[in-house]
Amino acid sequence: MIMLDVKNVSKKFEHFQLDNVSFQVPQGYIMGFIGINGAGKTTTIKSILNLITVDSGEIQIMGKNVAIHEAELKQSIGYAFGNVDFYTRSRIRTLTKVVKTFYDNWDDEAYRRYVRKFKLIEDKRIAELSTGMKVKYSLAIALSHGAKLLILDEPTSGLDPAARDDLLDIFRELVQDGEISILFSTHITSDLEKCADYITYIHEGRIVGSAEKDEFIDTYRLVNGKVEELEGIKERLISHRVNSFGFTGLIRADELPPSAAVNVAIPNLEEIMVYYSKKEAAHV
Amino acid sequence: MYNLLMKELRLGVSPWFYALPFVTGALMLIPGWVYFVVTLYVCMITIPNIFAGYKSQNDLMFTNMLPVSKKDIVKSKVGIIVFLELLHVIVAVVFGAVSLALYPNIEYIFFKPTAGFWGLTLIMLGIFNVCFIPMHYKTAYKYGSASIVSIAAAFLFAAGAEWLGISNAFVRDLFKGSGADDWGIQLSVLLAGALVFAALTIIAYRAACKRFKKVEI
Repeated sequence: MIMLDVKNVSKKFEHFQLDNVSFQVPQGYIMGFIGINGAGKTTTIKSILNLITVDSGEIQIMGKNVAIHEAELKQSIGYAFGNVDFYTRSRIRTLTKVVKTFYDNWDDEAYRRYVRKFKLIEDKRIAELSTGMKVKYSLAIALSHGAKLLILDEPTSGLDPAARDDLLDIFRELVQDGEISILFSTHITSDLEKCADYITYIHEGRIVGSAEKDEFIDTYRLVNGKVEELEGIKERLISHRVNSFGFTGLIRADELPPSAAVNVAIPNLEEIMVYYSKKEAAHV
Repeated sequence: MYNLLMKELRLGVSPWFYALPFVTGALMLIPGWVYFVVTLYVCMITIPNIFAGYKSQNDLMFTNMLPVSKKDIVKSKVGIIVFLELLHVIVAVVFGAVSLALYPNIEYIFFKPTAGFWGLTLIMLGIFNVCFIPMHYKTAYKYGSASIVSIAAAFLFAAGAEWLGISNAFVRDLFKGSGADDWGIQLSVLLAGALVFAALTIIAYRAACKRFKKVEI
């Protein structure tokens, strides 16, 4: 089953636009949503949550249009925004008391369980929580109201490596039984190497690729060779950098000339992202 | 809707603003004062401060993430404004009655706290609402210019009414002369004021709903 279906979404702002954004998150998997800062990740997430209205296209969650069934669908959505805080002067206990009244399927026992599991102290104010704890609190809320789709916007940004690893383990655990799906936006690609099943890459408001993680990475090749060899392949490269040893560039695997005398390697997500952003810089 | 109202009461409104009506209401005990000011405090202090709190606590996004409709979000905010306004008015009415009993023979230059005066107060608050609520919902987070315009509009109404009460013989007689003891007249003005307050607040709510639909969060 497709949990989240973003279909041809476009939205124009004064200085930026989402252009025909489409991707799908299947149930029970983690979709990593990557792109550099300002690529359109948060805008896409806001469209999914109906916080902004789209100019064209449609977003469906569990087969229902978000724009029409917003309140109903939000019963099944959990969220964690790494960079946004709410009611920071309130205690966890107070905030939970308020939030739980909005959810039909709120499970107090599950909430207690997650509070213990995540070691949350209910007397603490939100402002007193570490960044990781804030994300865990959002997860505890989402999981206690039976959310089936978790939308996490940069949940690991600003976390130390141990806290990040801890959260990634939790995400993997959550999708294990195949019920919960996660859309996980980040620019820290190493997190996704560890935990994502699928990757959607957005660049300048357009989706560059959306596929199963290994398949996505396999679409690209990292090539390097001597500067003299650059001219023959330059036009096909997404972007490249030159140094005293020669050049390194990113190319789509199907564009790779079979006879080229260059070294070919499989890139990682970070390299794909970096070379795409260099392409943007080259055009400026 | 009930859960949204409870959310506002528990998270959005500082407990101090439940106590403030009793502090400002006590100002009714100043003999012969400009009693419009007493309820103007809700416009000048309570509402701008609550909306400043909403802005600093990211309430717009927090509330929009909850499984509620945009219409209900506006309704709950209007509900909380009306609740606090009426709380201020009711407490002031009680202190006003005490004031009347304390100073039975005073000559009023400004309006006497009669039932009719409370009708005028409700009109003043209705004017505040019809300016503040739709202006705020243009962005759903800015409250500064909405506060200034709405407080100025409410103030102008109050000043205009007081001026009429001093310079116009008919109005003077109605609120401070023989009309002041005529319950029929006083209750009619109160009822008319309540109707105007309700009508202006409903207009404000509808306009705010329309604007809020277009707000990008």
